[in-house]
Amino acid sequence: MTERDAFFANLRQALGRGADDTASPRPPDASLTPASHTVHDRARAILDRMEYDAEGLMIKLANTAERSGWNVARFRSVADARGYVMQVARDVEARQAVRSSHPVLTDGTVDSWFTELGVSVEPMTISATSTRARQASRERLRDLAARSDIGVTGVDYAIAETGTCVLLPRAGVSRLVSLLPPVHIAFVQRGEVLPSLDELFALQRRDHLDGELGSYLSLISGPSRSADIEYTLVTGVHGPGQVHMVLIG
Amino acid sequence: MQPDTKNFRNAAAAALANENVQANLAGLTGFHDARLDARRQTPQWDDASERARAIKAHTLDNLDRYLLMMESNVKKTGGHVYFASDAAAAASYVVDLAREKGVELVIKSKSMLSEEMALNSRLEESGVEPVETDLGEFIVQLAGETPFHIIAPAIHKSKEDVSELFRDKLNVPLYEDIGDLTREARAQLRQKFLAAGMGITGANFMVAETGTVALVTNEGNGRMCTSMPKVHVAIAGMERIVPSMEDLGTFLRLLIRSATGQMISSYVTTVTGPRKAADEDGPEEFHLVIVDNGRSRLLADPELREALYCLRCGACLNACPVYKKVGGHAYGWVYPGPIGAVVSPMLTNLSDAKDLPFASTLCGACREACPVNIDLPRMLLYMRKELTQGETYPEHKSRSTVEAAAMKGWRASVSSGLMMRLANAFGRFAQLPIARRGRINRLPPPLSGWTRARSFPALASKPFRTRWRKRRRG
Repeated sequence: MTERDAFFANLRQALGRGADDTASPRPPDASLTPASHTVHDRARAILDRMEYDAEGLMIKLANTAERSGWNVARFRSVADARGYVMQVARDVEARQAVRSSHPVLTDGTVDSWFTELGVSVEPMTISATSTRARQASRERLRDLAARSDIGVTGVDYAIAETGTCVLLPRAGVSRLVSLLPPVHIAFVQRGEVLPSLDELFALQRRDHLDGELGSYLSLISGPSRSADIEYTLVTGVHGPGQVHMVLIG
Repeated sequence: MQPDTKNFRNAAAAALANENVQANLAGLTGFHDARLDARRQTPQWDDASERARAIKAHTLDNLDRYLLMMESNVKKTGGHVYFASDAAAAASYVVDLAREKGVELVIKSKSMLSEEMALNSRLEESGVEPVETDLGEFIVQLAGETPFHIIAPAIHKSKEDVSELFRDKLNVPLYEDIGDLTREARAQLRQKFLAAGMGITGANFMVAETGTVALVTNEGNGRMCTSMPKVHVAIAGMERIVPSMEDLGTFLRLLIRSATGQMISSYVTTVTGPRKAADEDGPEEFHLVIVDNGRSRLLADPELREALYCLRCGACLNACPVYKKVGGHAYGWVYPGPIGAVVSPMLTNLSDAKDLPFASTLCGACREACPVNIDLPRMLLYMRKELTQGETYPEHKSRSTVEAAAMKGWRASVSSGLMMRLANAFGRFAQLPIARRGRINRLPPPLSGWTRARSFPALASKPFRTRWRKRRRG
């Protein structure tokens, strides 16, 4: 008997079932987990709500984000956020920044503010195609992120319930941008805000059923923190200690 | 971790005498109050709790099937799954993998299961350096100790303790400020994150339908361990599985809000296999180690299966009047507090850990604090009964003949009026040499254990019945 067989034989005995009973799971109670055919309907309803309730969700997000430790600022357009972002860069005496390639960041507007301050800014995107070149590029970018003062990202979603930014894997988005530099600036646009965790995971389940589930999901809610010594809250343990949520629209 | 559950009495006494430990334990009230606040702010908490229980009951009833589903879905993403019957097999798998990959340095995010596996010492024996990266675990590892609390492993240490520890072990100056201590740990550990060949994490939840593991952290070390090294190994107790992604919202709320009172932790990370070709970063390999290590014993016993609902939030520790005085080390194994008093004996050895189910006042605070309403007092009573009567576990029946004889004598003496009067008369005579001012402070052997930590009221010189009769006659 292999180790795996022994593991399952023992488990089935504990469950009071025959050792060869390998039937697939009874489907969960429908009241517990919605059947897959309703998932797309629900996803549509969620996306609708993100649109028609955009203002309400944005206001709630501003509130909860502040409570979970973000510095929150709201502007009518990306261009209006210029002064705020430049001030953050000045305050931390930034010299190097990295950014992801979310659509909100790719038209050069945000880059130009950093350049104006003499801060070098680089997208964390691997452009090479060969495996070896990609690996070399990956290592160079990782070192760059590790010595950057600021990381700038967009988001895939934000969550009004918890003050959370959600980042999914996609081309031009490295999770290290929001992890290695001591300061993280996240741009959240109107229409990107979900009501609660439940809607996020419903959309993730839809992605799975569509064969599009990514290899990870990062939920970021405020700065990196610890209270491991004498219950005293300290920020910036391993991830960013200073985080800014810039709301647009 | 080698169980040291036989030593509860002495270890508890040592903790009670340690002022430093007592002062730090007092701070647990903060967690307790924060949990109550978070619970108040969560709409329909009780519904969520009920839902979570229903999901747990369903997945445990079908555990073999959900684990097979998990395995097949992890494999579809290109990951590997290993099923380990015990902690030693799980540790061997990880150690062999590290050696096969030529890994010299391993970074670890907090995992109670890795303590069950004694993973750090197993890695060290094979020449692989394991580094704990959660601040509390880092401190505990430097001190050569074990975690004191499930979610606050080093909370028994003062900042002065930590400062001296850092000076001695890391060769840095004495810091006075907790912020400085944290920055020093950040700098030390950042180098490790960049250099490590393998990241090891626990798994707060496994999602069967997608082959996903979910991790809850506040410091960001979990994100580091899952995105920086080339190999990511997640280790999970076999019961931590939910059917679908859509169950995560409910469970994350209950876990996080009960653990620290935050509405959500700074980071929640899910991992579904190794990085895909188009991803900008991430591990090349993903391994999931699913561990039984005695959990099937809890599963098999209908009285104890509920213990597998546990989310490891630590709320029952913070609520328990016993834990709040004796702290985590007295329990002698990985899981302390009320949940530890049920789980540790069953995962190690019930007879050795026989003091743990008795280390409770049965006040019910643990059950009230539990986000999934685990009936801990009922299970503690059941284990006490097993230890004395041994119906399900006769091999663990405690052989205290003195206690058995005393109980027999008690039953005989209270079962008839005559016997009761005789026993009272004998008792009043027998207590003469030992009763002082109405108290018995020290019983002679073999009964001396009963008075080691308390005194008994002596039998009154005239029984109540006599006094009552006299009074009525006037």
